[in-house]
Amino acid sequence: MHMRKVAIVVSEQTHHERRKPDKNVEDLIYETVSGLIAKAGLSISDIDTVIGAGDDVLDGRSISNVFTAEYAGAFLKEESKIEDDGAFAAAYAFMRIASGSFDTAIVYGYSKGSDSSPQYYSGMIADPFFLRPLGVEAITAAALQAGCYYQRFGVTESQAARVAVKNRRNAIGNPFAHIKGNYTVEDVMASPQIASPVKRLDASPVTDGCCAVLLASDEAVKRFSLKPAWIDGLSFCTDAYYLGHRDLSVARSARKAAGKAYAMAGILDPRREIGVAELHEPFSFQELMLAEALGFCEEGGGGRFIESGASEPAGRLPINLSGGALSANPIFATGLIRLAEAAKLITGQAEYAGIEARKAVAHATSGFALQSNIVYVLSSN
Amino acid sequence: MRQVAIIGTGQTRCKERRDDVSFPGLIYEAASRALEDAGVSIKDVDAVVFGSAPELFEGINHPEHWCAEAAGAWLKPSMRVHTGGTVGASTGIAAFYYVASGMFDTVLAVTGDKLSESPVQLGLSTVYDPILGRQFACGAPSAVALQARQYMDEFGVTEEQAALVAVKNRRNALLNPYAQLRIPDITVEMVLSSPVLSSPIKLLDSCPASDGACAIVIAGQERAARLCPRPAWIKAVATYNEGVYYPGRDFATPLALMEAAKKVYKTAGITDPRREIDVAELYEAFSFQEMLWSEALFFCERGEGGALVESGATQMTGDLPINPSGGVLSTNTIGATAMMRQAEAAMQVMGRAGEHQIEGARTALAHGWGGGIQFHTVMIVSADK
Repeated sequence: MHMRKVAIVVSEQTHHERRKPDKNVEDLIYETVSGLIAKAGLSISDIDTVIGAGDDVLDGRSISNVFTAEYAGAFLKEESKIEDDGAFAAAYAFMRIASGSFDTAIVYGYSKGSDSSPQYYSGMIADPFFLRPLGVEAITAAALQAGCYYQRFGVTESQAARVAVKNRRNAIGNPFAHIKGNYTVEDVMASPQIASPVKRLDASPVTDGCCAVLLASDEAVKRFSLKPAWIDGLSFCTDAYYLGHRDLSVARSARKAAGKAYAMAGILDPRREIGVAELHEPFSFQELMLAEALGFCEEGGGGRFIESGASEPAGRLPINLSGGALSANPIFATGLIRLAEAAKLITGQAEYAGIEARKAVAHATSGFALQSNIVYVLSSN
Repeated sequence: MRQVAIIGTGQTRCKERRDDVSFPGLIYEAASRALEDAGVSIKDVDAVVFGSAPELFEGINHPEHWCAEAAGAWLKPSMRVHTGGTVGASTGIAAFYYVASGMFDTVLAVTGDKLSESPVQLGLSTVYDPILGRQFACGAPSAVALQARQYMDEFGVTEEQAALVAVKNRRNALLNPYAQLRIPDITVEMVLSSPVLSSPIKLLDSCPASDGACAIVIAGQERAARLCPRPAWIKAVATYNEGVYYPGRDFATPLALMEAAKKVYKTAGITDPRREIDVAELYEAFSFQEMLWSEALFFCERGEGGALVESGATQMTGDLPINPSGGVLSTNTIGATAMMRQAEAAMQVMGRAGEHQIEGARTALAHGWGGGIQFHTVMIVSADK
């Protein structure tokens, strides 16, 4: 059936940092959303609906959108909240607009990891009966996955380290990124083990920050002078919860989501047609797994793919030119930032890179060891 | 816009403590019943929307991941909606947009909570802001007591009128096999003499805490018409928010609900809600609220909520029955509660409400309430496409 077209008009984000002691989450949201509507040349009354993304446990406050929503401009507006990454909230906003019920939507994602303990937060994702007594949380789950992935495909820790080096070098030009610099593979390999084989520099940091994105229908897009990034394809998928119930060496739900997003966008050969990708890689090796799942290289070929330089800035398919999650990780904004950066890259708005590509992929993940994934295909044509 | 309908509903048995199932078990029970009621299998479902209220209720974060398989979401699109008390309705409304957008054709929305896993009022006290409210955090009844007191002072409604709501809904509950709290000999005197929780709210003015879940199956027009002899067509939805900390905020004037009501009536082409709506399921966690919500939904004039219940109009035999299911006063899982309103409204227009069926019901309204007592959702369903 005919579906209304929806575009990303503009985005805004905070300068992400380890700790923002002078601001609470409402401050972060207010400054980001205010910046967003100023960039768009709008007033808040031009916004039809607001969808938030955050998490009560990280906020230390139940039903947190009771307080956050009005700072995102949702006073007496149609509002809702997705308790997941902002990239999922953007999918809901997309569907609200595509239905014809709304023309403009603000999506915001935020967190202040410094106010809380992200490790306890992720430890509470473990069910109380089987996983929690074992101490499974995001890092240990990822370590089990890394072991499975390396062992099955012969990908090495130093190949994964190259992802950490690339993304943090890419981040040097990104004014919003939090961890950046010219690290070496040796630096990554020599950094402390946090859960073998994952080392400190393989992992994304804890970051305070916020991102907001303005979505608009094809009719509403005409009101703006900004170049839109059209959402041509979008799909998401979740896999089994228990780590033992899936093959941890492959990101099956990401592959499935990508297949559907490509079909929706009419992409037949992602390696040739996609010019740039922003992937949500909480851990370095997961960028390689995701590159496989999204069809950028063959299954098990992630190690050779990074060594080939294909995902470097000068390569045929640059991945995480913004620096990715390894360079800034405000949980619940991290995936939304991928969507924002992908849109910026193909519309000439990225501060850190000028590229020719006009089609991008953006991805976000949720849950232990890439359980749930969302994939977007954007174009600026 | 594409026509969208509810084609099946499922509720669990609710109890103060369901020892026989885990949280995913509750979710599975509701989801399976909804699929069975819709006459579809999980293979026919394109996407799942999951909803539950604060994580502290079960002490589990991202329950949608733990419950993925139980909710039927394995290798399907799934995300979690969380808007506090309204979450059941927000989840059903998200599923509506999933289908209305054309992205999906058949969507399962499932919500629930297992409140026996934790002290509920402690969880609700963490809704209060850590800096500007935690010192006097006092759960839900005390916040609503402020609302009830302001409502009584401004409009002269009485505790006796509130007790009439409690008696009406508790009697209705006796006709609903899924209602949890059953007090066959309920009287106004019993309500008025029940222990005070937070003045003017008394024990029998209040909802119980429940372990339970609810699910609905939503489909696009072709599929709905093919699968269901009498679908509940969704005519309009709204999910409105209001602020918490603004000067002059009036607890007895629910602005978000009034906005939501205006929007759904406009969308559904309803000009006289009192006449055109045949039955309503409102989120009355406390008896006073049914009167206040009735006013904000324009069922009567401001200040006339008490007179409305006294008139008998909201009885099952009246011209606008409210909460024939027994309402929230009889069952409150929080996570599924607002979806139960949608499910019950749909059952009424589908003619599947059994003993609490309102004869001839063709248009029904479902309401959800929550947050810092400022979130409101409304859905209008109709037997007519």
